[in-house]
Amino acid sequence: MRQNGNNHYDVIVIGGGVTGAGTARDCAMRGLRTLLVERKDFTAGATGRNHGLLHSGARYAMTDQESASECIRENRILRHIASHCVEPTGGLFITLPEDDLSYQTKFIKACHRAGIIAKAIDPKEAILMEPSVNPDIIGAVTVPDGAIDPFRLTTANIMDAQLHGADIITYHEVTGFVKSQNRIEGVRLRNQSGEESTYYADVVINACGIWGMHIAKMAGVEVNMFPAKGALLIFGHRVNNVVINRCRKPADADILVPGDTISLIGTTSSRIPYEDIDKNDVTPEEVDILLREGSRLAPILSQTRILRAYSGVRPLVAADNDPSGRNISRGIVCLDHAERDGVEGFITITGGKLMTYRLMAEMATNMACRKLGKKAHCQTASTPLPGSEPSKESKRGKSHIIELGIEQKAAKGRHGTMSRYIHSHNAIDDALVCECEQVSVGEVNYAINSLHVHNLINLRRRTRMGMGTCQGEICACRAAGLLGKANNCAEKSLNDMAAFLNERWKGMYPIAWGDTLAEVQFTSWLYKGVCGLQPDKGEGINEEKEQR
Amino acid sequence: MRYDTIIIGGGLSGLCCGISLARQGQQVAIVSAGQSALHFCSGSFELYGRCENPLEGIASLPKEHPYRKMGIELTASYAEQIKDIFEAAAVKCTGEATRNHYCLTPIGVIKPVWLTLNDYARFESPDRIPWRKVALVNFEGYLDFYPQFIASGLAKYGVKSDIHSLSLTAFDNLRESSTEMRATNIARIMTGEILEQIAAYLNSHAGDAEALFLPAAFGLFDDTAVAELRAMVSLPLFFIPTMPASVPGVRTQIQLKNYFQRIGGTYLLGDNVVSGEIENGRLKSVKTANHGNMTLSADNFVIASGSFFSHGLIASQESIREPIFGLDIYADRVREEWYDKDLYSHQAYMGYGVVTDNKFRCSIDGKCIENLYAAGSILAHQNALDEGTGGGVAITTALFVADEILRSR
Amino acid sequence: MSQDKSNITNSSFEQCIKCTICTVYCPVTAVNAAYPGPKQAGPDGERYRLKKPIFYDEALKYCLNCKRCEVVCPSNVKIGDIIQLARIKYSTSSPRLRDYILANTDLVGSLSTKMSKIVNSTLKHPDVKSILEATLAIDSHRDFPSYADEQFTEWYRREAQQEQESFRHSVTYFHGCYVNYNYPQLGRDLITLLNAVGYGVKLMEKERCCGVAKISNKLIKQATRDARRNLAEIRTAVARGEEVIATSSTCSFTMRDEYQHILGLDNSDVREKINLATRFIYRLIDSGEIKLAFRDDFKRRIAYHAPCHLEKLGWTIYSTSLLRMIPGLELVMLDSQCCGIAGTYGFKRENYRYSQAIGEPLFRQIKYSGVDAVATDCETCKWQIEMSAGVKVEHPISLLAEALDIEATRALNGVK
Repeated sequence: MRQNGNNHYDVIVIGGGVTGAGTARDCAMRGLRTLLVERKDFTAGATGRNHGLLHSGARYAMTDQESASECIRENRILRHIASHCVEPTGGLFITLPEDDLSYQTKFIKACHRAGIIAKAIDPKEAILMEPSVNPDIIGAVTVPDGAIDPFRLTTANIMDAQLHGADIITYHEVTGFVKSQNRIEGVRLRNQSGEESTYYADVVINACGIWGMHIAKMAGVEVNMFPAKGALLIFGHRVNNVVINRCRKPADADILVPGDTISLIGTTSSRIPYEDIDKNDVTPEEVDILLREGSRLAPILSQTRILRAYSGVRPLVAADNDPSGRNISRGIVCLDHAERDGVEGFITITGGKLMTYRLMAEMATNMACRKLGKKAHCQTASTPLPGSEPSKESKRGKSHIIELGIEQKAAKGRHGTMSRYIHSHNAIDDALVCECEQVSVGEVNYAINSLHVHNLINLRRRTRMGMGTCQGEICACRAAGLLGKANNCAEKSLNDMAAFLNERWKGMYPIAWGDTLAEVQFTSWLYKGVCGLQPDKGEGINEEKEQR
Repeated sequence: MRYDTIIIGGGLSGLCCGISLARQGQQVAIVSAGQSALHFCSGSFELYGRCENPLEGIASLPKEHPYRKMGIELTASYAEQIKDIFEAAAVKCTGEATRNHYCLTPIGVIKPVWLTLNDYARFESPDRIPWRKVALVNFEGYLDFYPQFIASGLAKYGVKSDIHSLSLTAFDNLRESSTEMRATNIARIMTGEILEQIAAYLNSHAGDAEALFLPAAFGLFDDTAVAELRAMVSLPLFFIPTMPASVPGVRTQIQLKNYFQRIGGTYLLGDNVVSGEIENGRLKSVKTANHGNMTLSADNFVIASGSFFSHGLIASQESIREPIFGLDIYADRVREEWYDKDLYSHQAYMGYGVVTDNKFRCSIDGKCIENLYAAGSILAHQNALDEGTGGGVAITTALFVADEILRSR
Repeated sequence: MSQDKSNITNSSFEQCIKCTICTVYCPVTAVNAAYPGPKQAGPDGERYRLKKPIFYDEALKYCLNCKRCEVVCPSNVKIGDIIQLARIKYSTSSPRLRDYILANTDLVGSLSTKMSKIVNSTLKHPDVKSILEATLAIDSHRDFPSYADEQFTEWYRREAQQEQESFRHSVTYFHGCYVNYNYPQLGRDLITLLNAVGYGVKLMEKERCCGVAKISNKLIKQATRDARRNLAEIRTAVARGEEVIATSSTCSFTMRDEYQHILGLDNSDVREKINLATRFIYRLIDSGEIKLAFRDDFKRRIAYHAPCHLEKLGWTIYSTSLLRMIPGLELVMLDSQCCGIAGTYGFKRENYRYSQAIGEPLFRQIKYSGVDAVATDCETCKWQIEMSAGVKVEHPISLLAEALDIEATRALNGVK
């Protein structure tokens, strides 16, 4: 797996979220010998637990001009470098009868100040543009919002980091640092079977989001973070094709985002104790708020099937001069611990948001380069990610038209130009494993072989397998079979299947009524009843309480 | 339209009840909203799966449990009676209520059960599997059956397996569609020449195996194909159920339905009972979506409309209800009580259902509806998965209710 | 996205819990692997089409619209409707000349009855059939139903209309294209039967084709225009206090369900008044309003075939119950399965092979059943079975009329 011959690197990046992946890519592109380590799987933290909104920045225009202008700059960059992860849907900021219409004028001015093109339109026009929007709206503003798939984005960054020579290790947890005097020299890791290993580097970058507080503590420095939990609901199909935001001061459930085959409403916002950051529970109260408020944006939501509920934890960083947390920064925080705490070779990159991951990576990599005395320019803003390269065919023009099958079209949407590596030689490759999300045997095998897939949860994040209406009922057994075949281990595969179904249930129980309860009863009859599936009480089951 | 008895729900329970009544000369109509959960049947039925002797185990169930309401003696007698009905309907199976045997599940788990269809793999005990080595055969490209899982399950009991992947040109057409290589569609083409090709393959590839195991993809509507194949194969041959839709489930459903119609029953498929007219504590007639103002009236009614899967029970964000009549049900009021956060733990919702008196008569607001009985998985205080009682409760309560109806005249 | 009139969304696809039961009973899946099957074509495909219209698959044209998937679905998903709506909304292929000819049953019918002798003999000629296949892709194996030399409505106005006023009760008859242009005798049989029990039979002022063929050939504008006219006529009849009955199960089904589900026309005010002839008569008997008396010398062995749309209505029981009332009639129930014709579907060259393969088990069962004739409520099933199983097919109403002791029935019902 590793491309480097020994355990010594220029940079070790801790964290397989989008920030870590982006940082590893940037470092590798600048010629640094790079290692990325992740305790679980990519996107297992906040990266995989948000709206998937390609912010225009308008949401922040009134409260945080700096974030707003960062967002719109990155928005334009991502449309170019990550075109296969982005859906340029456009967005609306709507005013409802109970909202203050005078907010709209101030909002548009603030957008313009941040460089965001925001235009008030006739509410009737807005309804034509997005038929699902609440027909009672009294005001509407268009903004360049969109949807972005954080799973694909992270995978593409990882893939490119590897293409530039980086090493990637998942399912290895940092247990401590190698320190000599005031310098961090490496990290100690432990894998899932408890084996320990040590890797060395001149610079270690902590890109662990909310978990970064704990990592920093291990390195002997204090970074004061406040976990802010946000819950979201996934609806069964694509209800809207344009992002719908509420034009008012940010509040609960005021953004509805279309993403691939589904739509997402979120979020709630509540501070939670640091000990609870791995819980990811969604309470019935949160579900009720999301449904009630969401139905104000698009009334049809009250009759739409809900697939899942999930939550993520935003890392809010306390300003250094105010450990109480009253003065919280929502912006990017890039800390040079040599300067700040006198610990050499250690950088923390945190705060920020999905939208600004690339900028965060650039800042962290700039800092690392300075420390290493390396002069190399950042190219991540202009170089497309794997999958988003301009297609050669489109340049040549259409010389011949090949009618793609539905599953091939779906795979192309998910993997962009990389879909050329998905086997489609015969009918067996094209057979569907996941019928809801049109994931073929060929795509599953491609993910197993090329995208760091160790279990079904990994597979789901790389493909969308099990993310559709039935939440794994049809595909869990098929995918477990393919994975078992690839790894030649049936028993592990069955335990993995049990864990996968349990993980699906985690997102279903908060909304277990109506069709969801019928669905899960059916799934239980099949797997617990007909198949006699029982979870392995030992390892494997504790994989992660993954959602989304 | 007038019948002696009208049954709401055409699954295992509704059909068993209907057959039992029709055999006694009643005019019976079954109204079924689509096909039933019997379509996922594994080829085996459970009476009580948590101990060796189901009848003994029943005694340990709580007293509200449907078995306990009937009593062990009657439960045992209905468990015996069903064999006669199954035989008349050409559903060929074996098993004893006093002693579980074991079947092989689609993922290779060896599981205690009560009745198993005759073509399906079964053992008296997992420690006494009669073969040292078996051949497991799958069809190339068929995704709902993994012999590796079965092999791994058998290996735990010391049985070795050879795995074969059979590819026939006859499958090419099926594979053309990316989704339709399903067990039931495969079973449609398993006739004549294709069976001969499979038999030839099995005979030449069996090696030193002592038995042959194939996915259950033969004999969708009857067991002709099964008999033909077995006659051509030299080794003992058994089927292992697949993921749905399952061939043994579809076949059992069709055989029972055909038998019910043969003995004069009326089976109304694809219709929903929408309401009922209750007068003086008796249900007089029901209205259905298809028949509109042509109401269906009867002396007795049975509700065997299933659990949540079949919409016999419906959960909303606020509550759980029986949607046709608003029958009294047992269910927790607070949504958080309905489920456990671990899928594999006890799930309270599985035990919800309509509450009845000891004759399985339903009630509304505590008032008994004298001629409305409930049978099968709509009954409260059972948990088919925890107890291993799904098929058994469906069958025995159905026969009990049929007897109650006959007695009530 | 514009709010197109035809953009009727049917959100029942969300109720699908992926049990796959529909795939077991789809007659097309069984014979044509190019068809994605009801689950993929219906609820699964719908999610993807809502994501992006490029996910529409032209293979949805193979759907027969038999609705058997809807009948078996335990979750009440309107699978057939979802597929038909998707064809209308997303298909980029436009109807061809052949489709116009097949779909405009009323226009073609009224021209053909005027020159029925020439048309009938011409359409039977093998050379003509080959030309039709080569130019229009209408399969040359197909026999066209022969055209009557006089339309039912012409006969009615001349021979029957006047006396219909003399009965105590009345009902409006939707005769449909088949009775009007091909087989007026069925209409006459219905009048005989209903007159004998004291019901006068009226026709609509101007009946249009129910539109089923236009819907399946995606001529939605025309179908909607016809449907609106028919609904207006139905409302007039209902206002007179009459029910509207059809002898064709498909006409009845189309006006009750497809007008609302596919064309988006609200017919809820009159839907319950749109009835099938056999159900109408059964109800009169069941409620004791009328009685039938049958001849002693009627002795026939008849098999009943349940048309798909009658199964969808759930009304097969009315036709079979009436037939069972005839003492001299021995009824054999055929397995409920599609005959494969599906209206104009089986006439198309690209479908002929599948059409026959779908019907094969039914034809075999009929051949082995040793019956005198098959009874069914659908005219296109009749063409298919007569051509493919070589057995005469009759409508239950015609059999009732044949077996009826008219004098005795009149006496029983106090009709002079």
